[in-house]
Amino acid sequence: MVAVLLAVLVVPAVAGTGLVLAGRAVRAVDPLRANAFALAASVLTFLLVVVTVVARPGLDRPWVPSLGVRLHLGVDGISAPLLLLTAALGVAVVLHARSQPPEGGSVTTFYGCLLIVELGALATFLVRDAVLFFVAFETVLVPMWVLISRYGDRHDPAARADASGRFVLYTALGSTLMLIGILALVHAAGTADLTALAAGRGAGIDRGTQTAIAVLLVVGLGIKVPLFPVHTWLPPAHTIAPTAGSVLLAAVLLKMGTYGIVRLAVATVPQGFAAVAPVLGAAGVVGILWGGLACLVENDLKRLIAYSSVAHMGFVALGLASGTATGLQAALFANVAHGVVSALLFFLVGGLKSRWGSADLRVARAALREVSPRLGFALVVGFAASLGLPGLVGFWGEFLAVYAAWSPAVGSPVTVFRVLAAVAVVGTALAAGYSLRVLRTVWAGDRDAPALADARGPELAVVAVLVVAVVGLGVLPGTVLRSTAPDVSRIAVEAVR
Amino acid sequence: MSAVVSVDLLTLAPVLAPAAGAAAVLVADAAVPRLRRTHLVLAVVALALGAAGTIGGLGAAAGDVRRTLCLPGHPDVCLYTAGPAASALQLAALLGAVVTVLLAWPGELEAPRGRTAVTVSLVLAATTGATAVAAARDLGSWLVALELATLPTIGLVALRGVRAAISGAVALLTTSLVSFAMLALAAACWYTATASPLLAPDAALAANTDPARRAVLVLAVVLFVAGIGFKLSLVPFHAWTPEAYDGGSLPVTAFLAGASKVAALAALLVVVRAITPLGAPVLTAVAVVAALSMTLGNVMALRQDTVLRLLAWSTVSQAGWVVLPLATVSAGAVEASTAYLLAYVVATLTVFAVVAAVAQLRGTRAARTLTAYRGLLRDRPGLAVALGLGLLSLAGLPPGILGLVAKVVALRPVVAGQLWLLALVAAANAVLGVAVYLRWLRVLLERPEGAIAPAARRAHPAVLLAVGLGALALVLTSAAPQLVLHLVGG
Repeated sequence: MVAVLLAVLVVPAVAGTGLVLAGRAVRAVDPLRANAFALAASVLTFLLVVVTVVARPGLDRPWVPSLGVRLHLGVDGISAPLLLLTAALGVAVVLHARSQPPEGGSVTTFYGCLLIVELGALATFLVRDAVLFFVAFETVLVPMWVLISRYGDRHDPAARADASGRFVLYTALGSTLMLIGILALVHAAGTADLTALAAGRGAGIDRGTQTAIAVLLVVGLGIKVPLFPVHTWLPPAHTIAPTAGSVLLAAVLLKMGTYGIVRLAVATVPQGFAAVAPVLGAAGVVGILWGGLACLVENDLKRLIAYSSVAHMGFVALGLASGTATGLQAALFANVAHGVVSALLFFLVGGLKSRWGSADLRVARAALREVSPRLGFALVVGFAASLGLPGLVGFWGEFLAVYAAWSPAVGSPVTVFRVLAAVAVVGTALAAGYSLRVLRTVWAGDRDAPALADARGPELAVVAVLVVAVVGLGVLPGTVLRSTAPDVSRIAVEAVR
Repeated sequence: MSAVVSVDLLTLAPVLAPAAGAAAVLVADAAVPRLRRTHLVLAVVALALGAAGTIGGLGAAAGDVRRTLCLPGHPDVCLYTAGPAASALQLAALLGAVVTVLLAWPGELEAPRGRTAVTVSLVLAATTGATAVAAARDLGSWLVALELATLPTIGLVALRGVRAAISGAVALLTTSLVSFAMLALAAACWYTATASPLLAPDAALAANTDPARRAVLVLAVVLFVAGIGFKLSLVPFHAWTPEAYDGGSLPVTAFLAGASKVAALAALLVVVRAITPLGAPVLTAVAVVAALSMTLGNVMALRQDTVLRLLAWSTVSQAGWVVLPLATVSAGAVEASTAYLLAYVVATLTVFAVVAAVAQLRGTRAARTLTAYRGLLRDRPGLAVALGLGLLSLAGLPPGILGLVAKVVALRPVVAGQLWLLALVAAANAVLGVAVYLRWLRVLLERPEGAIAPAARRAHPAVLLAVGLGALALVLTSAAPQLVLHLVGG
């Protein structure tokens, strides 16, 4: 079983590196053959992840003894849904690229970078060592930078350079701050083992140090989440990136930030986290409003979805900040929900952008329900989930986050959190506003020219699976909540009080 | 009176081998003029023997050190004392010199042509100084060895003969003289304060208790740090670096960035071992110098369009990272600093080897500009991958995990010492560094603009060997960073 666990990382690593190198060594690789190879690798990875999640093997052996860093891998209820999400989307992005081949550089390098991003995300969710977490966290940086700067929007090289540069510099700053926090944590607690750190609950670390560590970790990881006001890297990156890049950014990379906050800050220094929680909640709620307001006036559809991500991640931050088991459950569920919904929306909008030639909402176009009903239906589902319609996946996380903020962990400033909860509800109204605005503009209406090719083949398959996931997880949220519940109840801030 | 009782030639091999090599090259040149390959082979053999000599001292347990030239009646007081960190520095200096020789192998990179014997013997002499200073424990050998490591590099830069080389050599000469004056003064102050010719902590501690002697001691320390600051390209003593890097021939610049830096850090570590017990004021000075070096180095590197100047400023900033751990009283600071330097040397030498290969493929002049690297990933994937690994290691991003672990190693003592401000400056500089190196990396990924007229069909095998060795070292140490940390006894 340990072999399976290692293979989860080795398969995308070897296949990804091979593809990156092969594009140059072999002059003309058939794009479809490269895709087939990447698809095989990502499907294999997915199967391995499924086995890993079911069997839950563990591995723990020294890697850098001088630093006390161990190659410590494992799966628990918190990481299992994220691992499955990552691996499934890893397959989806490769499959989707069959119908929307990458432009701007070698095809093999593109798929190689996708696989290495997947590798970094899987590693982040698997590792159980704080320093190794940092290594895994950094792994996604360079391949994602290549994806944005080489394969991004063909129209505007300057914007590509700006977006990729911002992405890499903001996230590098975030992860270096996180590293300082990790080193402080490891020094104070005397171990880098995340399981031991979580079991210790910050015992023996004085309150001031806990707070300093929590500030460093939350600020560092908050850049990745992203939290207001350090979210400014996200809209350009998501807008410029190729579809596969946007999907991985929104659905996988942002999750690494919130997952990191849960694993590194909430679990290990609960008292310090409780001290920064009101600020985290406030940043989240400002993000909800800011993102919602930006979406109301944004005319670039891709950028609009990027801003809506800021709003959705605000709910995750609010849930985390509440410090209760319910709040953490809400955050982890909203995390997965946003992963599914944003992936669906970015696939749809990426497809629409390549069909339309731009993603400008002001251009009068044929109504989707007339010319491409399948894309149109998926878009309706996606935006309905995005506005938090009950029965769809977007509802539970945000509902529970607001609920948790209304009754935060004992000892938290209740009034502050109630105000935050009330404001967050306003944010859901904004979400309804912008979602309906988009649907009215691109879906409703009766113009039926110019014609638009509807989704078919791989694109249809990917979109259909995601629509099923949006509805399925919305109807049966317990599948995810049950997975996370036992582990969450152990690490919630309130558990120490 | 004979002061030395024990001379263990085998222990001294890292110093004696390059020295003997330098002599052998000069003798061979006198006997048979106009030889070329013989000198290069002699040099590599000598350096390899020296490197073999360091193996015994590598990765030893703390306290288990190789010593010789011990004083009669004081078996503990040895003028040559090489612990694991010192042995690792010696190894780095020797391997750095090997890379320099490999890069000088194709004649066109060596300047002036036909002066191989001179170039090689100067490289060997400077390497001798570098390995000697790492193990020196008394003022006299320390000072002589450090100058032996420095002075030949002036000649090496000047040898290229062009205008830029002369001005680079003059800049190097001037700063070396100033630096030597400071170090000589520092040595005098040290002796005045401690009455001991040995660079040992107990001597410093004894002097520290007496206020009058303490003042002289602090002056000595400041002068030591300033004098070595010149050699290590630390701000504000860095001004010679871009001039000299730009002026020298490629192999010589690689030597300045590699073996020379090792020598300077080795010299600094010898002093730091002696003065850390003095505490706060010294450490603050080191912290300020580290923060300034990183920041200025990165900011200036961001603005450079020629690769050698970019590498020069990158060296300034990396030198800041190297001394960063020394700003703490932590027990592992010396090891952390050494480990960071090793990672820097491996990555930088790999980059230099690729620059040399590109110089052969696209012309020596062209290879100095960033634009020459456009489309390298498409044209020469092997070179581009090696260069990318080197740059990412310097930036500290995966897949250059070696550099990333080095940053962890360097930051750890700083965080443990709760120097939050310094840690935050370092974090900001990690980001600036990413910007510096990705700027170069971006050029590799771009499409080539039209066909670049190749200057040669393929690079010289010796240069490719250097590239391959560097890339292999980066891959191995990225997979298992413990290899490097073990060397320094961490």
